[in-house]
Amino acid sequence: MANYFNTLPLREQLAQLAKCRFMDSSEFSDGVEALKGKKIVVIGCGAQGLNQGLNLRDSGLDVSYTLRAEAIAEKRQSWKNATENGFVVGTYEELIPTADVVLNLTPDKQHTPVVKAVMPLMKQGACLSYSHGFNIVEEGMQIREDLTVIMVAPKCPGSEVRAEYVRGFGVPTLIAVHEDNDPKGEGLALAKAYAVGTGGHKAGVLMSSFIAEVKSDLMGEQTILCGMLQTGSILCFDKMVEEGIDAGYASKLIQYGWETITEALKYGGVTNMLDRLSNPAKIKAFDLSEELKVIMRPLYNKHQDDIINGTFSRVMMEDWANDDANLLKWRAETAETNFEKTPAGDVEISEQEFFDNGILMVAMVKAGVELAFETMTAAGIIAESAYYESLHETPLIANTIARKKLYEMNATISDTAEYGCYLYNHACLPLLGDFMKGIKTDVIGKGLATDDNGVDNARLIEVNAALRSHPVEAIGAVLRGHMADMKKIV
Amino acid sequence: MGIAIHLDDLSVNFDDRFQLNNLNWSIEAGQHWVVTGTNGSGKSALAAVLAGVGKIEQGSLSGLPSNVGLVSFEAQAELIAKELKKDDADIMDVISLGTPVHEMIFDQCQDPELAQELVEKFGLTPLLDRAFRKLSTGETRKVMLIRALSSKPNLLILDEPFDGLDAGTLTMLQEHLISIADTVPMVMVLNRFDEMPDFITHVAYMDKVALESKEAHKHRSEKKLSGAGKLALTVDKNDEQAFHELYQLLHLKTTDLSVPEADPSTKLPDLDPSQPLVRLKQASIKYGDTVIVDKLDWTIEPGQHWQLSGPNGSGKTCVLSLITGDHPQCYTNDIFVFGFQRGNGESIWQIKQFIGYVSTALQWEYRVSTSCKNVIISGFYDSIGMYTKSTDNQKKIADQWLELLGMKDRADQPFNKLSYGDQRLLLIARAMVKHPPLLILDEPCLGLDDMNRQLVLALIEKICEGKETTVLYVNHHAEDQIKGIEYYLGLKKNN
Repeated sequence: MANYFNTLPLREQLAQLAKCRFMDSSEFSDGVEALKGKKIVVIGCGAQGLNQGLNLRDSGLDVSYTLRAEAIAEKRQSWKNATENGFVVGTYEELIPTADVVLNLTPDKQHTPVVKAVMPLMKQGACLSYSHGFNIVEEGMQIREDLTVIMVAPKCPGSEVRAEYVRGFGVPTLIAVHEDNDPKGEGLALAKAYAVGTGGHKAGVLMSSFIAEVKSDLMGEQTILCGMLQTGSILCFDKMVEEGIDAGYASKLIQYGWETITEALKYGGVTNMLDRLSNPAKIKAFDLSEELKVIMRPLYNKHQDDIINGTFSRVMMEDWANDDANLLKWRAETAETNFEKTPAGDVEISEQEFFDNGILMVAMVKAGVELAFETMTAAGIIAESAYYESLHETPLIANTIARKKLYEMNATISDTAEYGCYLYNHACLPLLGDFMKGIKTDVIGKGLATDDNGVDNARLIEVNAALRSHPVEAIGAVLRGHMADMKKIV
Repeated sequence: MGIAIHLDDLSVNFDDRFQLNNLNWSIEAGQHWVVTGTNGSGKSALAAVLAGVGKIEQGSLSGLPSNVGLVSFEAQAELIAKELKKDDADIMDVISLGTPVHEMIFDQCQDPELAQELVEKFGLTPLLDRAFRKLSTGETRKVMLIRALSSKPNLLILDEPFDGLDAGTLTMLQEHLISIADTVPMVMVLNRFDEMPDFITHVAYMDKVALESKEAHKHRSEKKLSGAGKLALTVDKNDEQAFHELYQLLHLKTTDLSVPEADPSTKLPDLDPSQPLVRLKQASIKYGDTVIVDKLDWTIEPGQHWQLSGPNGSGKTCVLSLITGDHPQCYTNDIFVFGFQRGNGESIWQIKQFIGYVSTALQWEYRVSTSCKNVIISGFYDSIGMYTKSTDNQKKIADQWLELLGMKDRADQPFNKLSYGDQRLLLIARAMVKHPPLLILDEPCLGLDDMNRQLVLALIEKICEGKETTVLYVNHHAEDQIKGIEYYLGLKKNN
């Protein structure tokens, strides 16, 4: 199988990368009609599989689950998940031939064997749905010509997909149609009905392409989302301890700090996150982030280049073929870092203190978000996609660190994201070595040692203007506005 | 019992949303107190002050012991919210099972022997390996109690400890409290006078304080309090006259209730009056090999008001969720509801439109920040929070309900800043606002004070009198029977 993206002419590559449109709610007036009476069979019953299936069934659709014969025979967790919730469960041979729509909700790594196993069993003219395009775009999986191929990807964890539906709402969702596999021209109608069935249309749907989804998702997760937070955690912790700050305090400031500062990001973008700082601290954070952006830009470019030209996925798949040797080694190394091994101390840190004493962390988030966004858009990815795959998801990942540090983050993200995170981390740690030598506790650990909050007017105006005019803020204001319209009264 | 706690002209602020003013109170060695009062007067807040909650703004608080055991709905809700939050962020495809019960009880336990004994007494042994957040309301309460009792407290604060417990457990808990009364001083928040244990020596009565006008506020600070309370009086239980008056005060009854009209523009589809509202045939609920509900046949005809009862863990809530469609196993059972044979392409919203629903679990799930008025209006949409623009007529009806509940001045205040009892009253209004063909009240009085309990029961009686709504009422308390309910279903525990 060859990398699908690389087989396309440049013109088509650019057109596909630039696809992403926020859909109007009037486009969903047909509801679930396109899926009514059709037989939906879900492969895999993890958090996404189970919760999406529960929603689809509660929307009046016919849902059952297919698992590998071993999972059924051994009554594994996935089998329990499906049967305890009253779903019909059967083997591929039993259920796939009856399915009008097959939802592949297994992890990326299993896509090739799973799709190879189910494709010959699928009905003529049926539909195959993905929630991530890696298999099609990077692995170049060829799908039978008579089959329709779509993608429906809720941009939230499975548990939230369910919780929001039960409340009468939904989560933002990305949909796409693989144009090479849309023989009957019904792909879009099916994807829209699927998004309605999970409640996604109430929270906002982005119409994108397989290619835009893969190339932006990979870039976001390995740089700002996971890589930057991992690298930042290790560097900030070691610096604080080296400067004599209590290790328990340092551990807590970082573990919960990412979550607290990115909560501000979620509500009001980079601008609001920086606005939480005092004026002198804001200027300091801005200057640090400018410095970081200069140092790290070549690294972001390299990640984006490797993702676009397929180097990243090729090297990672070599590691898959090598029993995940690198992944497992890096995972073990992460567990041995001092930050990971030092439990959060029993000290009270107020919400504001996380900002005041974490100026460098704020600078790192700002630099990472802006660099990821700038690099993605420079590579032809449209601003909407770039926003969702950088700024929008950062708080979600930060939450996982608050729960159980880097271990939890790496355990809950996909293997693909984890692999990319380690790649980034290994390159970024030495890259920031000299920069960190100049860092003292005023920007990480203790806060600015000054009683005077005075700043130069002209400089503050410059900094504020720079923050507010960054393109990620412009698109962020528009997209958060859409979300707020939909959630108006909440 | 060598404690002596003194509150001297103490004012305490709770996150700038609730204020207790000018508290003067002494708890001396050998005393046990009950705190009572109206909803929203700060009973729970006063108890929480003794557990070190709140910011002291003036006055002094002395003599607090170091180890205070606290059981309250707020603490329970917080613990549940914490457990649910653990589930919130799994980006990957794993089901988080949550903390098991044994970990909740035995981790950091001061007296594992006592904890073990209580686990057995409370019948929690079979549940030890289950996830804490999978427990029923009554079961989580038992876990809270065991945690507090086995922490070797120097002071025990029990906020409505008896609510939500079945008769057997209640007796057991009362006996245990009597047995430790000589060694552990207790402060209980109670809404029912008849639940007051004999060893109680004193009663404190809390009342609401009128909020200062906005103008006056501006001059002092920018705080936007949603309520304030004070300790109105304290009574020695031996003073019979004073004790009786306090009882009267709490039994004040509201007169002249009338339920606001339904909204003519959001009319529900007509139901065939010759068909039952609900018909369960041989309904069963199983988890693995554990049978929760076993082959239940139940038909609810229009106009038949039912009371459903049974001990904690007998599956009451499970049966209800088969009807509401919230239980996933409703698709594997033979269920007919509101003209739909379940599992034939109907959506859950087509079912829910016919049901008004109130329960403790709903209150815990109602965690979105929205205004009180919107909470009522969300009843028209069966949603938690509002995601659609409401009509003028819906707003008008919501205002009428707020007036009925005596909460007109709270219309635009955030729901999640209200007291527990006030939240419950609003959720009952939310359930009734569309005049549903079936109104399900799952222990609607849990956590309410006497006065509001009377109000709620009177409201339910009014609804029962009307022709359009059939009531399904779930309650432990025998004395909370409602005029007009003539059909009873008792569930037994299966395991």
